[in-house]
Amino acid sequence: MSLRSELEEVLKELKATGDIEASAIVSRDGLLIAADISSNVNAEAFAAMSATMLGAAETAMSELGKGLPDRVVVESSDGKIVATGAGDRALLVVMTSPKANLGLILLQLGKASKKVEELLG
Amino acid sequence: MKAVTGIPVLDEVVEEFPESKTLTYWIDPEVEGNAFAMQTIYTNLERGFKCAYVTVTISPESVISEFEEFGWEVKEFENFEIVDLYSSYVGFPSKCKYNANPINLEEVEVLMKKVLEKFDIVFLPASSIIDVCGEEALRCIKDWCSLAKSIGKRVVLSFVAWPYSKEVKDGIIEISNALVKVGGIHHRVILGYYYGLVKADWKNVKSRAILFKLVRPGGVRAYIPKILVTGPYNAGKSSFVHAISNRAVSVDRLGTTVALDHGHLEYKGFSIDLFGTPGQERFDPILRMLGKEALGVILVVDSTKPETFPRAKQMLESVTHFGLPYVVAANKQDLPNALPPEEIKRRMVLPNDVPVIPISAVKGEGVYKVIDALLDLLIWREGEDELEI
Ligand SMILES: Nc1nc2c(ncn2[C@@H]2O[C@H](COP(=O)(O)OP(=O)(O)OP(=O)(O)O)[C@@H](O)[C@H]2O)c(=O)[nH]1
Ligand SMILES: [Mg+2]
Repeated sequence: MSLRSELEEVLKELKATGDIEASAIVSRDGLLIAADISSNVNAEAFAAMSATMLGAAETAMSELGKGLPDRVVVESSDGKIVATGAGDRALLVVMTSPKANLGLILLQLGKASKKVEELLG
Repeated sequence: MKAVTGIPVLDEVVEEFPESKTLTYWIDPEVEGNAFAMQTIYTNLERGFKCAYVTVTISPESVISEFEEFGWEVKEFENFEIVDLYSSYVGFPSKCKYNANPINLEEVEVLMKKVLEKFDIVFLPASSIIDVCGEEALRCIKDWCSLAKSIGKRVVLSFVAWPYSKEVKDGIIEISNALVKVGGIHHRVILGYYYGLVKADWKNVKSRAILFKLVRPGGVRAYIPKILVTGPYNAGKSSFVHAISNRAVSVDRLGTTVALDHGHLEYKGFSIDLFGTPGQERFDPILRMLGKEALGVILVVDSTKPETFPRAKQMLESVTHFGLPYVVAANKQDLPNALPPEEIKRRMVLPNDVPVIPISAVKGEGVYKVIDALLDLLIWREGEDELEI
């Protein structure tokens, strides 16, 4: 299996959890590596802004003298976005339905990000 | 309690407004500067000082409502009094306890003596008095300031700097123990306002300038101007922000900026925040976001890469609408194949008067010239490089 299809496999497994509407693996500098996103979404912009969001949050935390944040969660009545680091070079980001159970999603996301980190290692 | 100027930042610098001192607000005619003296008076009313506000060109009622527009209910202060030199000038009976006809300078002098004896702080609209009474009123203003000095009172002058004679201007400067200049920042249109302490003889301070907005209600509010640093990928924007700032952070990942650079700079009396943008196109939404409310733009280009100039211009266009001033930093001049500034200006087809400054961000060479060039466009008049009257 190619690296790319292995990464896509991780995203597919995530989706199987239910409540995840879209997901992407993004390089830390904002380039799309792999995505499971419907074609009417601008995946490249989504990827870039996810990297911005996580990068800015990490810098904000470290400016306060705290360690790295585990994730960034964005909530709206139409759904949530959760971005989390996946090693030094990548991050993992998902979009959920509005009623998604965040605890469950975070658990799955944690596992998936480890896998991504290993694959890209 | 000490008397103060009531103006943000200024009070941190001068610490107090001591007795026997004259504080002058020297106001460019294009700027709405009345609020400064009013803020000084109101702040000291609240501190319990007896304050008198002299009016010659507007009615006492208008004075009250100008105060009220800023949320300053002066009517409720028993220690506040308007000295009305307006009503009898325009032929109305005055409702104020202290009033005189400014045409009769002797009458005014008698009145002012009484006022200075009675009140702790007296406001004089110096330029309006001169407009009404002629330049010989300068002598009276000088006398009142001297009297205040000898009996431990304070005078606040506002002087709208129309082209009066040198004698008048020098006279005002001479009697001012502290001088605060209030001016406009313009580039085709007025972009903002600043005030700066030119001198304060009870403190050994360097001139410094603060940008402000007038808020109603609220009064004079200081703010830190934002300068945007943009340009193509890898041009050296982050390097520039770090080279010039007293402190800076960048959100860089894998060697490129993904969110922004932020730097803070204290320079020639100004406090400036620098925001660097990412260079790569996929972050252009951030560029537009950071561009909002910037006061000026620094466009950084890699002088060795003319193929990136079209992108540079496109980035400039997306942030310089409304005639925002900009300067170009021709970076990487330390490299042998760097194009000279004139050549860059020609290739980018920039207007002749746009400053293109050769710099090396990594070596820190020329970087302050970029800020100077921008300040030249924004604030300094010809030949100035610090606050002067
Ligand atoms: N020789 C030389 N190299 C420079 C100079 N300024 C920056 N560089 C180099 O150019 C590269 C890019 O610098 P950055 O400051 O990250 O550029 P940037 O414009 O912020 O890049 P992005 O944020 O990715 O768009 C780095 O390798 C710097 O060391 C300079 O004056 N001379
Ligand atoms: Mg950068």
